Amino acid sequence: MDGRILLVEDDASIREVVALGLRAIGFSVVTAADGPSGLELWRVERPDLVLLDVMLPGVDGLEVCRDIRRESTVPIVMLTARGDTVDVVVGLEAGADDYVRKPFEMPELIARVRAAMRRRDRIAANPKTTPSGSATISVELRLGPLAIDLPGRRVTRDGREIELTRTEFDLLAELAAQPGMVLSREVLLDRVWGYDFLGDSRLVDVAIGRLRAKVEADPARPELVLTVRGSGYKAARPG
Amino acid sequence: MPGLRGRLAVALVALVAATVVGIGLGTYAFVDARLRESLLADASRQVRFDLSVLVPDRLPANANSAAFEQSGLPEAFRLRADVETIVDFGSDDVWVSGDALIGALGTMPAALSAALAKGDVGYAWTTVAGGRSLVVAGRPATGPTFYFVFPTTSIDAALDQLRLGLVVGGAVAIALALAAARGLARRILVPVRSGSAAAARIAGGDLSARVPETGSDELAAWATEFNRMAAALESTIGRLEDAQRQNRRFVADVAHELRTPLTALVAEASVIEGRLRSLPPDARRAAELLMADVRRLRDLVEDLLELSRFDADAEAATLVSVDLGRSVAAIAAARLPEAGVFLPGEPVVATVDLRRLDRIIGNLLDNARTHAPGAAVDVRVTRADDRASVTVADRGPGVSNAELGHLFERFFKADRSRRTGSTGLGLAIAAENARLLGGSLAARNREGGGLEVSLSLPVTGSLPGGDDPAI
Repeated sequence: MDGRILLVEDDASIREVVALGLRAIGFSVVTAADGPSGLELWRVERPDLVLLDVMLPGVDGLEVCRDIRRESTVPIVMLTARGDTVDVVVGLEAGADDYVRKPFEMPELIARVRAAMRRRDRIAANPKTTPSGSATISVELRLGPLAIDLPGRRVTRDGREIELTRTEFDLLAELAAQPGMVLSREVLLDRVWGYDFLGDSRLVDVAIGRLRAKVEADPARPELVLTVRGSGYKAARPG
Repeated sequence: MPGLRGRLAVALVALVAATVVGIGLGTYAFVDARLRESLLADASRQVRFDLSVLVPDRLPANANSAAFEQSGLPEAFRLRADVETIVDFGSDDVWVSGDALIGALGTMPAALSAALAKGDVGYAWTTVAGGRSLVVAGRPATGPTFYFVFPTTSIDAALDQLRLGLVVGGAVAIALALAAARGLARRILVPVRSGSAAAARIAGGDLSARVPETGSDELAAWATEFNRMAAALESTIGRLEDAQRQNRRFVADVAHELRTPLTALVAEASVIEGRLRSLPPDARRAAELLMADVRRLRDLVEDLLELSRFDADAEAATLVSVDLGRSVAAIAAARLPEAGVFLPGEPVVATVDLRRLDRIIGNLLDNARTHAPGAAVDVRVTRADDRASVTVADRGPGVSNAELGHLFERFFKADRSRRTGSTGLGLAIAAENARLLGGSLAARNREGGGLEVSLSLPVTGSLPGGDDPAI
């Protein structure tokens, strides 16, 4: 599998073995040991995916995440030391697409990296299907004032382009493909993130929040991406 | 309140009552005696005068009642308004000063006759013609026997008044004593009550509770001692808590520090594992063992970290309402597909954190699998009133009854000799997670062999917005 990955991790052993494991399956990997050099490397290399340790000396990994997010929609996967605390939510809110808990085994990390990479390619490679695979002749979806260009991965609201991360775009496309249809968090985790059983539903909730902040006129009172209590989310039906 | 306060009040009132009654009775007896003495002295003086001066002058010897009528004595006696007279001439010849006295002679007490027989003036307190009276009787040197009847009405009235006064006064005194006793008892018991309140607060965990130290009596000394005890207790507990905190922080720090090299170790071992086939047989076996042991170490560190988060109260639950049966079935299918799953006909709605439910049921299933390898495992969801239960039951060796109570302790292993691959923390973690969900875990041996562990959870109402079909 091709693709360039930036790995920002302060521990030398972890950095080396992760790079080793990723290179072994075909990725090219550049590494940085701290936040500032990570940011610098990101600007030079423009990788296809960033693997980011949250606990970094000097500049916090979350800060690096926010800085990258300001400039790019590149997939960011966090390496987090704690899976059950607010760290995960804070990281996701800083703009990360997914996270992997330490300690991890390489196949686990590779699966997350591949899922994030595949998303990048999926729709562009096959413009005649929705992300869930159901056949459709339309390559452009409409959701209220939003126009969703599937092959171009662009979203415009009243002609003005809205910048979405890949996760946010996929989430919106999944929902908009079947307006009014309730999709549970688990289904969204499976289709957007590639988790089969018991992924972290906070991934969905945080991503929905970030999506609403960008596409809704009033994110506190969403009209396009709706919550169905106890069930999941749905896109508003037209009209 | 029948406590010390009540007993103190009762004792004080009893003391006052006894004093009041004693003084009352004494006063009454004294006044009664004085009044009678005085009446008797007056009466005796009068009777002696009558018998020794008046009668011998006017009445001839051996006179009868007719002669008495002529003697002018009846008029003289009648002048004394408050004295009645009976004169006994013998042989049923009796003169009386009023009709009410007819027949009264027969009711005179025997003691009076006895005194008369000795030739003396006698007296008796008795009832004459329905009125309480003093009767003074005597006989002149010759002649009839005179009975002078002095009504005691005035004495009785005075005594009645005195009795009333004493009863009312006594009652008032006792009532005052009661009020005073209650107030006093309360005052005395204020420190005792503040002491018991402070003790209750200490028992409830507030080690800073103290009692006020006022005055310089025994109770103040007691309060000082109480406070010294409380202070000693507080500092001891504080030291123990500090030690425990340090201990726990140390465990958390160790686990945390282990995590970075462990992360490298796990990733490295997993890379080697991916290359197992290219290794020579000896190295391959070593690599397999390495991977298994690295995973064991990872599980142990993860478990320790999770427990230290519970110890630091850093764990929070993300609660959602689910159909417990379907959630448990999904967990069992993922964790131990060969387990038998038994669900009730109706959905059982509980508010849980799905990840924590997964942790609890997963750990129970792990426990069943490691301690009863190969034996059948049943997962059963039941509901009784407002509690739902998830029971994981195996057909393994079970544990002794002595060990049952320790099952949820950290690092407790029922079969220490056996290498099971478990960290010894799984059930302790499950119990902590259960507590976080407002539930509890309980273990017991099954009839016919095997162990069963039940998770008990509160049941909520119906699912908001319908059942979630995903899990």
